[in-house]
Amino acid sequence: MMESRTSVWKRRLRRATMAAVAIGAALGVAQARAQTTTPAPSTPASTTSTPAPTTAAPTPTLDNAQIQIFYSPPQSSYLQPLYQRLRERQYLEQLKKFLSPLIIPPGITLKITTKECGTVNSWWSGRQDGLFLCYEWTDYAERVAPEVPTKNGMTHEDAILGAFLQVTFHELGHAMFDIYEVPIFGREEDAADQMAGFILSQFGPDVARRTFPGVVYIWRQLATSDGKWTQDDFSDIHGYPLQRAYNYLCMAYGAMPAEFQYVVDNGYLPKERASQCGREFVQIRHAFAKTIYPHIDVAKMKVVQSTQWLLPEGSEIPPK
Amino acid sequence: MKALMFRVALAFAALFLANSHGFAQAPPLRNDQIDIAYVPPTGPDYQTIYQGLQARKVLEELRAFLAPLKLPRKIMVEVKQCGGLEELYQPGQPVVICYEYVAELQKLAAGIPADGSGAMGVTREDAVVGAFIQAVLQQTASAVFDVLDTPIWGREEDAADKLAAFLMLQFGPDAARKLMLGASYFFAASNRTWTGVDFSDEQGTEAQRYYNYLCIAYGFDPKLFGDFYDGQGNATSNGQTVVLPPSREFWCPKEYTDEKWAFDTQILPHVDLNLLQQVLSQDWLKPYTGP
Repeated sequence: MMESRTSVWKRRLRRATMAAVAIGAALGVAQARAQTTTPAPSTPASTTSTPAPTTAAPTPTLDNAQIQIFYSPPQSSYLQPLYQRLRERQYLEQLKKFLSPLIIPPGITLKITTKECGTVNSWWSGRQDGLFLCYEWTDYAERVAPEVPTKNGMTHEDAILGAFLQVTFHELGHAMFDIYEVPIFGREEDAADQMAGFILSQFGPDVARRTFPGVVYIWRQLATSDGKWTQDDFSDIHGYPLQRAYNYLCMAYGAMPAEFQYVVDNGYLPKERASQCGREFVQIRHAFAKTIYPHIDVAKMKVVQSTQWLLPEGSEIPPK
Repeated sequence: MKALMFRVALAFAALFLANSHGFAQAPPLRNDQIDIAYVPPTGPDYQTIYQGLQARKVLEELRAFLAPLKLPRKIMVEVKQCGGLEELYQPGQPVVICYEYVAELQKLAAGIPADGSGAMGVTREDAVVGAFIQAVLQQTASAVFDVLDTPIWGREEDAADKLAAFLMLQFGPDAARKLMLGASYFFAASNRTWTGVDFSDEQGTEAQRYYNYLCIAYGFDPKLFGDFYDGQGNATSNGQTVVLPPSREFWCPKEYTDEKWAFDTQILPHVDLNLLQQVLSQDWLKPYTGP
């Protein structure tokens, strides 16, 4: 039985809502966890027995004038519900708050725009134009996400959530590489995937279990729908979608081997590659600590850490 | 096969030995933080390769080439029989070049027309020289990243691949072309078909590595490597496109610039610039004239 157009849109709207809420939530959690895995400046211990009087420092607000956000209205009617939902859920506002600890060099503004792109994609367009997150990407995820949970428990919503978070953090990776002039020895597209995977791995086991399978699912779908790659296709700056799926699996297993042991046991990730994943994850964490962490405002970070980002499903729209 | 071995031997010589009189007037170049070993093969199959590498002091030359690099810890480099074509570098472990890989180079080189009419005009000698140096530098690059505690974004194997390419481009136009053509040829020559679980490999496909090399070379000097891009990306050899497609060519200047930036900020601070000048002034591809 076919669903009516109205019910399809209602269902899409509900799912998009869930994704958007979770995204806003996940952003903050990721940052908080990142703090715990990277070296923090230490304060020398006091040598006196009497605590020195302290003055409470003012709590910084989660704002950053060098981050600008824009919702560009789509022309296509089928993207309107998603556009409306993102605005209502203040997705970009939450993203901006989450990113506010980033110390952006003077004269640079990080612009983030959601828009209709005419293609299933998203990209960092350089310091002038900023980051474009395309509605079509999420729409694609919606279309290919499984209708019923997979045998490993990944739901329709998980697939959309994973796809949306992955593309957001991937493109933010490009932005940070550019803005901070990060040295990149490998292929930049893989590096941006590593940035996304690293942040996703900082959400804790529950969120990682829910997001990584979605990311892997989407890339496996793209490997299927992209047709057979020939030699020439390997000239692309991106990895083959199946490679990206395995890379994300490896990052998940490398970050949390106990949580993702089943991907090895069930043969989703070959043992030969799995044996390298711990080392690969340490490499990524090391690169993050050396090249990104020095650009983070620790005081704002603490506020981000104390913020409740993970809104439960069905919760109200965050206040402005 | 004897004739081919002779050619290969010449290639190794041309590569590394630059023979003793090549260094006669210069202070000896040697990085004491690099230990080397020629491990005797366990059977008769690779005796010729073992003896050839040893006689031509291939590892001593690598140690000389890396003389400018200030390493806080020792790196062990060894050639040995592995039981497979390669052993990827593992942190704290030796850099390994396998006799089996050298044998594979010989085998693939045999498929190149003797008159140099193969793909993109690469000769047998260029192919062997380029591929061998690429393998040595790629493996060594991984060890250097490890010892210098270098932050690596992107897959480590690709990072080592790209650093090897970057180094191969620094030795003047003639050597750069020979090396890049040779290394690229062997990536292209692989007939391996990747399917399914193959893509879980931590290394890229040979085709990806091939285009990576074309791209960084073209980005380095689009005139010197002008034949790597024909404006349309439709030049073929044996049914395969052998030049960069426009969609990739667009990125090549950035890819080279990014690699140079990474090298300048992360590796160059660990390089003795005076010794580097000595290394760069050497003719590392001088023909071997015998002991």
